[in-house]
Amino acid sequence: MTAASAPISKRRAGEALGGLAVADPRPRIVDGRVAGWRCGACGHAVAQESPWCPNCSAGALTPASFGPGGTVWAGTVVHLPVGHWKPPFALASVDLDDGPRVLAHVTETRVLPVGSRVRLVGGTQESGASAGDGNDVFVEPEGSGS
Amino acid sequence: MTRPVGVWGVGTSHFGRFPDQRVETLAWEAIGEAMTAAGVTADDIDAVFVGTVFGPPGVAIRVLRGTGIGGVPVVTIEAACASGTAAFHEAAQAVASGRYGTVLAFGVEHLSSLFTGAIVPEATDADGAAGLPLPGLYALGAQRYLAVHGATVEQLAQVAVKNKAHGVRNPRAHLGRASSSGAPSLDEVLASKMIAEPLTLLQCCPTTDGAAAAVLGRARAGDVRVLSSALVSGRPWDQRSDEIWGVAPVRRAADEAFSAAGVEAEDVDVLEVHDAFTIGEIVTLEALGLCKPGEGAELAVSGHTALGGRQPVNPSGGLLSRGHPLGATGLAQLAEIVWQLRGVAGDRQVPGARIGLVETLGGAASGMDGNAAVVALLSSDPSS
Ligand SMILES: [Zn+2]
Repeated sequence: MTAASAPISKRRAGEALGGLAVADPRPRIVDGRVAGWRCGACGHAVAQESPWCPNCSAGALTPASFGPGGTVWAGTVVHLPVGHWKPPFALASVDLDDGPRVLAHVTETRVLPVGSRVRLVGGTQESGASAGDGNDVFVEPEGSGS
Repeated sequence: MTRPVGVWGVGTSHFGRFPDQRVETLAWEAIGEAMTAAGVTADDIDAVFVGTVFGPPGVAIRVLRGTGIGGVPVVTIEAACASGTAAFHEAAQAVASGRYGTVLAFGVEHLSSLFTGAIVPEATDADGAAGLPLPGLYALGAQRYLAVHGATVEQLAQVAVKNKAHGVRNPRAHLGRASSSGAPSLDEVLASKMIAEPLTLLQCCPTTDGAAAAVLGRARAGDVRVLSSALVSGRPWDQRSDEIWGVAPVRRAADEAFSAAGVEAEDVDVLEVHDAFTIGEIVTLEALGLCKPGEGAELAVSGHTALGGRQPVNPSGGLLSRGHPLGATGLAQLAEIVWQLRGVAGDRQVPGARIGLVETLGGAASGMDGNAAVVALLSSDPSS
Protein backbone atom coordinates (compact mmCIF):
# COMPACT_ATOMS: atom_id res chain seq x y z
CA MET A 1 0.00 0.00 0.00
CA THR A 2 1.14 3.50 -0.81
CA ALA A 3 2.11 5.67 2.11
CA ALA A 4 -0.56 8.25 2.80
CA SER A 5 1.14 11.62 2.80
CA ALA A 6 -2.03 13.15 1.42
CA PRO A 7 -4.82 14.82 3.39
CA ILE A 8 -6.72 12.36 5.54
CA SER A 9 -10.43 11.81 5.04
CA LYS A 10 -12.80 10.19 7.46
CA ARG A 11 -14.78 9.12 4.44
CA ARG A 12 -14.24 5.98 2.40
CA ALA A 13 -10.84 7.04 1.25
CA GLY A 14 -9.74 4.09 -0.85
CA GLU A 15 -6.52 2.14 -0.62
CA ALA A 16 -4.43 4.88 -2.21
CA LEU A 17 -5.13 7.11 0.79
CA GLY A 18 -4.50 4.47 3.41
CA GLY A 19 -8.13 3.40 3.70
CA LEU A 20 -9.79 0.13 2.81
CA ALA A 21 -9.89 -0.99 -0.80
CA VAL A 22 -12.93 -0.20 -2.95
CA ALA A 23 -13.90 -1.81 -6.25
CA ASP A 24 -11.97 0.14 -8.88
CA PRO A 25 -14.23 2.41 -10.99
CA ARG A 26 -11.48 3.68 -13.33
CA PRO A 27 -11.49 2.95 -17.06
CA ARG A 28 -8.81 0.46 -18.11
CA ILE A 29 -6.56 -0.19 -21.03
CA VAL A 30 -7.00 -3.74 -22.38
CA ASP A 31 -4.90 -4.92 -25.32
CA GLY A 32 -3.84 -1.38 -26.11
CA ARG A 33 -7.32 0.16 -26.24
CA VAL A 34 -9.68 1.73 -23.70
CA ALA A 35 -12.21 -0.83 -22.57
CA GLY A 36 -15.84 0.32 -22.35
CA TRP A 37 -19.27 -0.45 -23.70
CA ARG A 38 -21.44 0.40 -26.70
CA CYS A 39 -25.24 0.36 -26.95
CA GLY A 40 -26.59 -2.21 -29.41
CA ALA A 41 -29.62 0.00 -30.16
CA CYS A 42 -28.38 3.59 -30.46
CA GLY A 43 -24.62 3.08 -30.70
CA HIS A 44 -23.82 5.34 -27.74
CA ALA A 45 -20.34 4.74 -26.31
CA VAL A 46 -19.88 4.70 -22.55
CA ALA A 47 -16.72 4.59 -20.49
CA GLN A 48 -18.27 3.83 -17.10
CA GLU A 49 -20.10 0.67 -16.09
CA SER A 50 -23.85 1.19 -16.49
CA PRO A 51 -26.87 -1.13 -16.05
CA TRP A 52 -28.19 -0.39 -19.56
CA CYS A 53 -27.73 2.35 -22.14
CA PRO A 54 -27.96 5.69 -20.32
CA ASN A 55 -28.71 7.43 -23.62
CA CYS A 56 -31.74 5.51 -24.95
CA SER A 57 -32.38 3.43 -21.80
CA ALA A 58 -33.59 0.68 -24.13
CA GLY A 59 -30.48 -0.90 -25.54
CA ALA A 60 -28.24 -3.44 -23.91
CA LEU A 61 -24.58 -2.56 -23.56
CA THR A 62 -21.95 -4.86 -24.98
CA PRO A 63 -18.23 -4.60 -24.29
CA ALA A 64 -16.36 -2.45 -26.78
CA SER A 65 -12.91 -0.93 -27.07
CA PHE A 66 -12.04 2.61 -28.07
CA GLY A 67 -9.10 4.68 -29.23
CA PRO A 68 -6.34 4.67 -28.35
CA GLY A 69 -6.34 7.92 -30.37
CA GLY A 70 -8.29 10.91 -29.21
CA THR A 71 -8.60 14.69 -28.98
CA VAL A 72 -8.05 16.75 -25.84
CA TRP A 73 -11.27 18.33 -24.51
CA ALA A 74 -9.26 20.18 -21.85
CA GLY A 75 -6.12 19.73 -19.79
CA THR A 76 -4.74 21.05 -16.52
CA VAL A 77 -1.80 20.69 -14.18
CA VAL A 78 -2.71 20.01 -10.56
CA HIS A 79 -0.46 21.47 -7.86
CA LEU A 80 -2.04 19.68 -4.89
CA PRO A 81 -1.21 16.24 -3.56
CA VAL A 82 -4.07 13.86 -4.36
CA GLY A 83 -3.79 10.34 -3.00
CA HIS A 84 -0.41 8.96 -4.02
CA TRP A 85 -0.04 11.57 -6.75
CA LYS A 86 2.58 14.13 -5.80
CA PRO A 87 2.25 17.59 -7.33
CA PRO A 88 2.61 18.80 -9.92
CA PHE A 89 0.88 16.30 -12.20
CA ALA A 90 -1.14 16.81 -15.36
CA LEU A 91 -4.62 15.53 -16.19
CA ALA A 92 -6.59 15.73 -19.39
CA SER A 93 -10.12 15.01 -20.44
CA VAL A 94 -9.98 13.26 -23.81
CA ASP A 95 -12.65 12.48 -26.41
CA LEU A 96 -11.62 9.12 -27.82
CA ASP A 97 -12.07 8.66 -31.57
CA ASP A 98 -15.65 7.39 -32.03
CA GLY A 99 -15.65 6.73 -28.30
CA PRO A 100 -16.38 8.17 -24.88
CA ARG A 101 -14.80 11.07 -23.02
CA VAL A 102 -12.35 9.87 -20.38
CA LEU A 103 -10.12 11.52 -17.80
CA ALA A 104 -6.50 10.40 -17.66
CA HIS A 105 -3.07 11.33 -16.37
CA VAL A 106 -0.65 12.99 -18.78
CA THR A 107 2.85 11.62 -19.16
CA GLU A 108 4.25 15.17 -19.49
CA THR A 109 3.70 17.81 -16.82
CA ARG A 110 2.09 20.50 -18.94
CA VAL A 111 -1.35 21.76 -19.89
CA LEU A 112 -2.27 19.93 -23.08
CA PRO A 113 -3.89 22.36 -25.52
CA VAL A 114 -7.60 22.01 -26.24
CA GLY A 115 -8.03 20.10 -29.49
CA SER A 116 -4.58 18.54 -29.55
CA ARG A 117 -4.15 14.94 -30.63
CA VAL A 118 -3.18 12.29 -28.08
CA ARG A 119 -2.97 8.56 -27.55
CA LEU A 120 -4.12 6.68 -24.44
CA VAL A 121 -1.87 4.04 -22.94
CA GLY A 122 -1.84 1.79 -19.90
CA GLY A 123 0.94 0.27 -17.84
CA THR A 124 2.88 1.91 -15.05
CA GLN A 125 3.75 5.26 -16.57
CA GLU A 126 4.82 8.33 -14.69
CA SER A 127 2.67 11.41 -14.19
CA GLY A 128 4.69 14.19 -12.60
CA ALA A 129 6.81 12.78 -9.81
CA SER A 130 4.57 9.75 -9.25
CA ALA A 131 3.92 6.52 -11.05
CA GLY A 132 0.52 4.94 -11.54
CA ASP A 133 -0.51 1.79 -9.69
CA GLY A 134 -0.75 -0.18 -12.93
CA ASN A 135 -4.47 0.43 -13.32
CA ASP A 136 -4.36 4.05 -14.44
CA VAL A 137 -4.98 5.35 -17.93
CA PHE A 138 -2.38 7.75 -19.33
CA VAL A 139 -2.40 10.33 -22.08
CA GLU A 140 0.58 10.54 -24.39
CA PRO A 141 0.77 13.70 -26.50
CA GLU A 142 1.09 12.81 -30.19
CA GLY A 143 4.68 12.76 -31.32
CA SER A 144 6.08 12.11 -27.84
CA GLY A 145 7.56 8.96 -26.32
CA SER A 146 7.68 5.89 -28.54
CA MET B 1 -46.73 28.32 -5.96
CA THR B 2 -50.15 27.55 -4.64
CA ARG B 3 -49.76 29.40 -1.35
CA PRO B 4 -47.49 32.46 -1.13
CA VAL B 5 -44.37 31.49 0.79
CA GLY B 6 -42.59 33.93 3.05
CA VAL B 7 -39.16 33.76 4.60
CA TRP B 8 -40.00 34.57 8.21
CA GLY B 9 -36.43 34.70 9.42
CA VAL B 10 -32.86 33.74 8.56
CA GLY B 11 -29.67 33.29 10.53
CA THR B 12 -26.09 32.14 10.17
CA SER B 13 -23.11 31.30 12.30
CA HIS B 14 -19.81 33.02 11.72
CA PHE B 15 -17.79 31.30 9.00
CA GLY B 16 -14.23 30.12 9.43
CA ARG B 17 -12.21 27.31 11.01
CA PHE B 18 -13.53 26.59 14.46
CA PRO B 19 -11.68 23.65 16.05
CA ASP B 20 -13.38 24.30 19.41
CA GLN B 21 -16.87 24.07 17.95
CA ARG B 22 -18.96 21.12 16.89
CA VAL B 23 -21.66 20.97 14.23
CA GLU B 24 -24.28 21.38 16.96
CA THR B 25 -22.94 24.65 18.33
CA LEU B 26 -22.57 26.14 14.86
CA ALA B 27 -26.11 25.10 13.93
CA TRP B 28 -27.58 26.49 17.17
CA GLU B 29 -26.09 29.90 16.40
CA ALA B 30 -27.82 29.95 12.99
CA ILE B 31 -31.12 28.39 14.12
CA GLY B 32 -31.38 30.72 17.10
CA GLU B 33 -30.96 33.79 14.97
CA ALA B 34 -33.47 32.54 12.38
CA MET B 35 -36.12 31.63 14.98
CA THR B 36 -35.72 34.93 16.79
CA ALA B 37 -36.01 36.86 13.53
CA ALA B 38 -39.09 34.81 12.62
CA GLY B 39 -40.66 35.29 16.04
CA VAL B 40 -41.27 31.57 16.54
CA THR B 41 -40.49 29.06 19.27
CA ALA B 42 -39.73 25.35 19.08
CA ASP B 43 -43.41 24.37 19.37
CA ASP B 44 -44.24 26.32 16.20
CA ILE B 45 -42.00 24.21 13.95
CA ASP B 46 -43.97 21.56 12.00
CA ALA B 47 -41.09 20.01 10.06
CA VAL B 48 -37.35 20.35 9.55
CA PHE B 49 -35.30 19.96 6.35
CA VAL B 50 -31.54 19.69 6.79
CA GLY B 51 -28.75 20.03 4.24
CA THR B 52 -25.38 18.46 4.98
CA VAL B 53 -22.81 16.51 3.01
CA PHE B 54 -20.36 15.20 5.59
CA GLY B 55 -22.79 15.08 8.50
CA PRO B 56 -21.84 13.16 10.57
CA PRO B 57 -24.72 10.67 10.27
CA GLY B 58 -27.38 11.68 12.78
CA VAL B 59 -26.30 15.31 12.86
CA ALA B 60 -29.82 16.64 12.28
CA ILE B 61 -31.33 15.09 15.38
CA ARG B 62 -28.22 15.80 17.43
CA VAL B 63 -28.59 19.48 16.59
CA LEU B 64 -32.31 19.46 17.43
CA ARG B 65 -31.67 17.89 20.86
CA GLY B 66 -30.65 21.24 22.26
CA THR B 67 -33.42 23.25 20.66
CA GLY B 68 -36.63 21.76 22.02
CA ILE B 69 -37.75 20.88 18.51
CA GLY B 70 -38.70 17.21 18.34
CA GLY B 71 -41.30 14.68 17.31
CA VAL B 72 -41.86 16.38 13.95
CA PRO B 73 -40.68 15.04 10.58
CA VAL B 74 -36.95 15.68 10.11
CA VAL B 75 -35.48 14.96 6.68
CA THR B 76 -31.79 15.24 5.83
CA ILE B 77 -30.85 16.00 2.23
CA GLU B 78 -27.49 15.46 0.55
CA ALA B 79 -27.11 17.25 -2.77
CA ALA B 80 -23.39 18.08 -2.58
CA CYS B 81 -22.77 21.85 -2.54
CA ALA B 82 -26.49 22.44 -3.15
CA SER B 83 -27.59 20.51 -0.03
CA GLY B 84 -28.64 23.59 1.92
CA THR B 85 -30.44 25.12 -1.05
CA ALA B 86 -32.20 21.81 -1.65
CA ALA B 87 -33.33 21.81 2.01
CA PHE B 88 -34.66 25.35 1.50
CA HIS B 89 -36.39 24.28 -1.72
CA GLU B 90 -38.14 21.36 -0.03
CA ALA B 91 -39.19 23.60 2.88
CA ALA B 92 -40.61 26.19 0.48
CA GLN B 93 -42.48 23.58 -1.55
CA ALA B 94 -43.89 22.05 1.64
CA VAL B 95 -45.28 25.42 2.73
CA ALA B 96 -46.56 26.21 -0.78
CA SER B 97 -48.43 22.93 -1.03
CA GLY B 98 -49.87 23.25 2.44
CA ARG B 99 -48.16 20.10 3.66
CA TYR B 100 -46.63 21.96 6.61
CA GLY B 101 -47.34 25.34 8.14
CA THR B 102 -44.04 26.48 9.61
CA VAL B 103 -40.83 24.84 8.47
CA LEU B 104 -37.24 25.14 9.62
CA ALA B 105 -34.45 24.57 7.11
CA PHE B 106 -30.85 24.49 8.19
CA GLY B 107 -27.50 23.45 6.80
CA VAL B 108 -24.30 22.70 8.67
CA GLU B 109 -20.78 21.47 8.00
CA HIS B 110 -17.60 21.14 10.03
CA LEU B 111 -14.99 20.60 7.33
CA SER B 112 -11.90 21.62 9.28
CA SER B 113 -12.15 18.44 11.37
CA LEU B 114 -12.35 16.30 8.21
CA PHE B 115 -9.88 17.74 5.73
CA THR B 116 -6.47 19.32 6.18
CA GLY B 117 -6.61 20.78 2.67
CA ALA B 118 -8.83 20.38 -0.34
CA ILE B 119 -11.70 17.89 -0.14
CA VAL B 120 -10.37 14.40 -0.88
CA PRO B 121 -11.89 12.96 -4.06
CA GLU B 122 -14.34 10.09 -3.66
CA ALA B 123 -12.61 6.75 -4.23
CA THR B 124 -15.72 5.08 -5.67
CA ASP B 125 -15.98 7.71 -8.41
CA ALA B 126 -14.09 7.12 -11.68
CA ASP B 127 -12.60 10.61 -11.88
CA GLY B 128 -12.10 10.73 -8.12
CA ALA B 129 -10.20 7.45 -8.16
CA ALA B 130 -8.08 8.80 -11.00
CA GLY B 131 -7.01 11.66 -8.74
CA LEU B 132 -9.13 14.59 -9.95
CA PRO B 133 -9.67 17.07 -7.11
CA LEU B 134 -12.57 19.55 -7.32
CA PRO B 135 -10.31 22.49 -8.25
CA GLY B 136 -8.97 20.25 -11.04
CA LEU B 137 -12.47 19.73 -12.41
CA TYR B 138 -13.11 23.47 -12.48
CA ALA B 139 -9.63 24.05 -13.92
CA LEU B 140 -10.45 21.77 -16.85
CA GLY B 141 -13.59 23.83 -17.42
CA ALA B 142 -11.63 27.06 -17.16
CA GLN B 143 -9.05 25.88 -19.71
CA ARG B 144 -11.81 24.94 -22.11
CA TYR B 145 -13.57 28.27 -21.56
CA LEU B 146 -10.37 30.25 -22.12
CA ALA B 147 -9.64 28.35 -25.34
CA VAL B 148 -13.16 28.52 -26.77
CA HIS B 149 -14.01 32.11 -25.86
CA GLY B 150 -10.58 33.71 -25.92
CA ALA B 151 -11.04 34.84 -22.32
CA THR B 152 -8.03 35.71 -20.15
CA VAL B 153 -6.72 34.62 -16.77
CA GLU B 154 -7.05 38.26 -15.68
CA GLN B 155 -10.80 38.08 -16.35
CA LEU B 156 -11.04 34.94 -14.21
CA ALA B 157 -9.04 36.53 -11.40
CA GLN B 158 -11.16 39.68 -11.41
CA VAL B 159 -14.05 37.61 -10.01
CA ALA B 160 -11.93 36.88 -6.93
CA VAL B 161 -10.84 40.51 -6.61
CA LYS B 162 -14.49 41.56 -6.66
CA ASN B 163 -15.86 38.96 -4.28
CA LYS B 164 -13.02 39.33 -1.79
CA ALA B 165 -13.57 43.10 -1.80
CA HIS B 166 -17.23 42.40 -1.01
CA GLY B 167 -16.23 39.97 1.73
CA VAL B 168 -14.23 42.62 3.57
CA ARG B 169 -17.60 44.29 4.23
CA ASN B 170 -19.06 41.09 5.72
CA PRO B 171 -18.10 40.63 9.39
CA ARG B 172 -19.09 36.93 9.25
CA ALA B 173 -17.03 36.04 6.16
CA HIS B 174 -14.24 33.52 6.66
CA LEU B 175 -11.68 35.50 4.70
CA GLY B 176 -13.32 38.88 5.20
CA ARG B 177 -12.27 39.19 8.82
CA ALA B 178 -8.75 38.00 8.07
CA SER B 179 -8.24 40.67 5.44
CA SER B 180 -7.07 43.46 7.73
CA SER B 181 -5.11 44.84 4.82
CA GLY B 182 -8.20 44.81 2.63
CA ALA B 183 -8.98 42.73 -0.42
CA PRO B 184 -6.22 41.35 -2.66
CA SER B 185 -5.31 43.09 -5.89
CA LEU B 186 -5.50 41.47 -9.30
CA ASP B 187 -1.74 40.90 -9.22
CA GLU B 188 -1.99 39.29 -5.78
CA VAL B 189 -4.75 36.94 -6.93
CA LEU B 190 -2.74 35.91 -9.99
CA ALA B 191 0.50 35.56 -8.01
CA SER B 192 -1.00 33.39 -5.26
CA LYS B 193 -0.02 29.72 -5.18
CA MET B 194 -1.09 27.77 -8.25
CA ILE B 195 -3.68 25.11 -7.34
CA ALA B 196 -4.85 23.73 -10.68
CA GLU B 197 -3.87 25.66 -13.79
CA PRO B 198 -5.17 28.30 -14.43
CA LEU B 199 -6.79 28.59 -10.97
CA THR B 200 -4.65 30.09 -8.20
CA LEU B 201 -5.30 29.73 -4.47
CA LEU B 202 -7.20 33.02 -4.20
CA GLN B 203 -9.54 31.80 -6.94
CA CYS B 204 -10.57 28.78 -4.84
CA CYS B 205 -12.99 28.84 -1.90
CA PRO B 206 -11.48 28.00 1.49
CA THR B 207 -12.30 24.94 3.62
CA THR B 208 -14.82 26.40 6.03
CA ASP B 209 -16.97 25.48 9.03
CA GLY B 210 -20.39 27.05 9.44
CA ALA B 211 -24.15 26.84 9.56
CA ALA B 212 -27.14 28.74 8.24
CA ALA B 213 -30.88 28.49 8.77
CA ALA B 214 -34.24 29.84 7.67
CA VAL B 215 -37.81 29.65 8.97
CA LEU B 216 -40.47 29.59 6.27
CA GLY B 217 -44.25 29.90 6.41
CA ARG B 218 -47.16 31.50 4.59
CA ALA B 219 -46.19 34.98 3.48
CA ARG B 220 -47.19 37.69 5.96
CA ALA B 221 -47.04 41.45 5.50
CA GLY B 222 -43.42 42.55 5.31
CA ASP B 223 -41.97 39.09 4.68
CA VAL B 224 -39.53 38.44 1.89
CA ARG B 225 -41.46 36.32 -0.65
CA VAL B 226 -40.27 33.18 -2.34
CA LEU B 227 -41.36 33.84 -5.94
CA SER B 228 -40.16 30.44 -7.14
CA SER B 229 -37.58 27.77 -6.56
CA ALA B 230 -36.41 24.98 -8.81
CA LEU B 231 -34.37 21.89 -7.97
CA VAL B 232 -32.86 19.77 -10.74
CA SER B 233 -30.42 16.89 -10.82
CA GLY B 234 -27.64 16.07 -13.25
CA ARG B 235 -27.80 14.52 -16.69
CA PRO B 236 -25.01 12.68 -18.50
CA TRP B 237 -21.96 14.79 -19.31
CA ASP B 238 -19.94 12.99 -21.95
CA GLN B 239 -18.49 13.17 -25.47
CA ARG B 240 -21.73 14.74 -26.71
CA SER B 241 -21.41 17.69 -24.32
CA ASP B 242 -20.08 20.88 -25.88
CA GLU B 243 -20.49 22.90 -22.70
CA ILE B 244 -18.14 22.70 -19.78
CA TRP B 245 -19.16 20.76 -16.73
CA GLY B 246 -21.77 22.30 -14.45
CA VAL B 247 -23.44 24.79 -16.81
CA ALA B 248 -26.42 22.80 -18.07
CA PRO B 249 -28.02 22.00 -14.69
CA VAL B 250 -27.95 25.67 -13.71
CA ARG B 251 -29.67 26.59 -16.97
CA ARG B 252 -32.32 23.92 -16.43
CA ALA B 253 -33.06 25.20 -12.92
CA ALA B 254 -32.93 28.85 -14.01
CA ASP B 255 -35.34 28.34 -16.90
CA GLU B 256 -37.82 26.70 -14.54
CA ALA B 257 -37.41 29.28 -11.77
CA PHE B 258 -37.64 32.37 -14.02
CA SER B 259 -40.65 30.95 -15.83
CA ALA B 260 -42.48 30.14 -12.59
CA ALA B 261 -41.73 33.57 -11.12
CA GLY B 262 -42.64 35.53 -14.24
CA VAL B 263 -39.36 37.42 -13.92
CA GLU B 264 -36.53 38.03 -16.42
CA ALA B 265 -32.82 37.88 -15.66
CA GLU B 266 -32.51 41.63 -16.24
CA ASP B 267 -35.10 42.26 -13.49
CA VAL B 268 -32.87 40.79 -10.77
CA ASP B 269 -31.27 43.38 -8.49
CA VAL B 270 -28.90 41.20 -6.46
CA LEU B 271 -27.58 37.63 -6.73
CA GLU B 272 -25.78 35.08 -4.58
CA VAL B 273 -24.31 32.41 -6.85
CA HIS B 274 -22.00 29.43 -6.58
CA ASP B 275 -18.48 30.84 -6.96
CA ALA B 276 -16.56 27.96 -5.41
CA PHE B 277 -14.00 28.78 -8.11
CA THR B 278 -13.84 31.97 -10.20
CA ILE B 279 -14.79 30.22 -13.44
CA GLY B 280 -17.93 28.99 -11.68
CA GLU B 281 -19.38 32.47 -11.23
CA ILE B 282 -18.65 33.36 -14.86
CA VAL B 283 -20.40 30.41 -16.46
CA THR B 284 -23.20 30.49 -13.90
CA LEU B 285 -24.11 34.05 -14.84
CA GLU B 286 -24.22 32.94 -18.48
CA ALA B 287 -26.45 29.99 -17.57
CA LEU B 288 -28.74 32.30 -15.58
CA GLY B 289 -29.16 34.45 -18.70
CA LEU B 290 -27.46 37.64 -17.45
CA CYS B 291 -25.40 37.58 -20.63
CA LYS B 292 -24.60 35.41 -23.65
CA PRO B 293 -22.12 32.50 -23.52
CA GLY B 294 -18.60 33.89 -23.59
CA GLU B 295 -19.62 37.29 -22.21
CA GLY B 296 -19.66 36.30 -18.53
CA ALA B 297 -15.92 36.84 -18.20
CA GLU B 298 -16.37 40.58 -18.69
CA LEU B 299 -19.09 41.12 -16.05
CA ALA B 300 -16.73 41.48 -13.07
CA VAL B 301 -14.19 43.47 -15.11
CA SER B 302 -16.82 45.99 -16.26
CA GLY B 303 -18.17 46.41 -12.73
CA HIS B 304 -21.64 45.16 -13.72
CA THR B 305 -21.54 42.54 -10.93
CA ALA B 306 -19.68 44.58 -8.30
CA LEU B 307 -21.33 46.43 -5.44
CA GLY B 308 -22.36 49.72 -7.00
CA GLY B 309 -22.85 48.02 -10.36
CA ARG B 310 -26.09 47.29 -12.16
CA GLN B 311 -26.49 43.70 -10.83
CA PRO B 312 -24.21 43.01 -7.85
CA VAL B 313 -23.27 39.34 -7.55
CA ASN B 314 -22.14 37.83 -4.25
CA PRO B 315 -22.29 40.96 -2.09
CA SER B 316 -21.62 38.65 0.91
CA GLY B 317 -18.21 37.82 -0.53
CA GLY B 318 -19.54 34.59 -1.99
CA LEU B 319 -18.02 31.21 -1.40
CA LEU B 320 -14.63 32.74 -2.27
CA SER B 321 -14.73 34.96 0.80
CA ARG B 322 -17.52 33.85 3.13
CA GLY B 323 -16.28 30.29 2.67
CA HIS B 324 -17.96 27.10 1.57
CA PRO B 325 -19.29 24.90 4.37
CA LEU B 326 -21.04 22.73 1.78
CA GLY B 327 -24.40 21.99 3.39
CA ALA B 328 -24.62 25.46 4.95
CA THR B 329 -23.77 27.40 1.82
CA GLY B 330 -27.18 27.48 0.15
CA LEU B 331 -28.91 28.77 3.27
CA ALA B 332 -26.12 31.29 3.85
CA GLN B 333 -26.73 32.55 0.30
CA LEU B 334 -30.45 32.73 1.08
CA ALA B 335 -29.77 34.64 4.30
CA GLU B 336 -27.74 37.24 2.41
CA ILE B 337 -30.47 37.75 -0.19
CA VAL B 338 -33.14 38.04 2.51
CA TRP B 339 -31.07 40.66 4.35
CA GLN B 340 -30.53 42.51 1.08
CA LEU B 341 -34.25 42.51 0.27
CA ARG B 342 -35.05 43.70 3.77
CA GLY B 343 -32.52 46.49 3.42
CA VAL B 344 -30.51 45.42 6.47
CA ALA B 345 -27.27 44.29 4.78
CA GLY B 346 -25.23 47.09 6.28
CA ASP B 347 -22.07 48.17 4.47
CA ARG B 348 -22.77 45.83 1.58
CA GLN B 349 -26.42 46.80 1.02
CA VAL B 350 -27.54 47.01 -2.61
CA PRO B 351 -29.70 50.16 -2.52
CA GLY B 352 -33.36 49.52 -3.23
CA ALA B 353 -32.97 45.81 -4.01
CA ARG B 354 -36.41 44.33 -4.71
CA ILE B 355 -35.71 41.05 -6.53
CA GLY B 356 -32.96 38.62 -5.53
CA LEU B 357 -31.67 35.31 -6.81
CA VAL B 358 -29.97 32.37 -5.12
CA GLU B 359 -28.14 29.72 -7.15
CA THR B 360 -26.14 26.71 -6.00
CA LEU B 361 -24.59 23.91 -8.04
CA GLY B 362 -23.56 20.62 -6.46
CA GLY B 363 -20.96 18.25 -7.89
CA ALA B 364 -19.17 16.22 -8.95
CA ALA B 365 -20.19 12.67 -9.85
CA SER B 366 -18.11 11.85 -12.91
CA GLY B 367 -20.03 11.40 -16.13
CA MET B 368 -22.85 13.69 -14.97
CA ASP B 369 -23.13 17.43 -15.63
CA GLY B 370 -23.76 18.10 -11.95
CA ASN B 371 -25.25 16.40 -8.92
CA ALA B 372 -27.92 19.02 -8.33
CA ALA B 373 -28.68 22.66 -8.97
CA VAL B 374 -31.12 24.98 -7.26
CA VAL B 375 -32.22 28.41 -8.43
CA ALA B 376 -34.62 30.47 -6.30
CA LEU B 377 -36.11 33.90 -6.91
CA LEU B 378 -37.21 36.09 -4.03
CA SER B 379 -38.70 39.53 -3.68
CA SER B 380 -39.36 42.07 -1.00
CA ASP B 381 -43.03 42.30 0.01
CA PRO B 382 -44.69 43.64 -3.17
CA SER B 383 -47.21 45.60 -1.07
CA SER B 384 -44.63 47.42 1.02
ZN1 LIG C 1 -28.68 3.32 -26.45
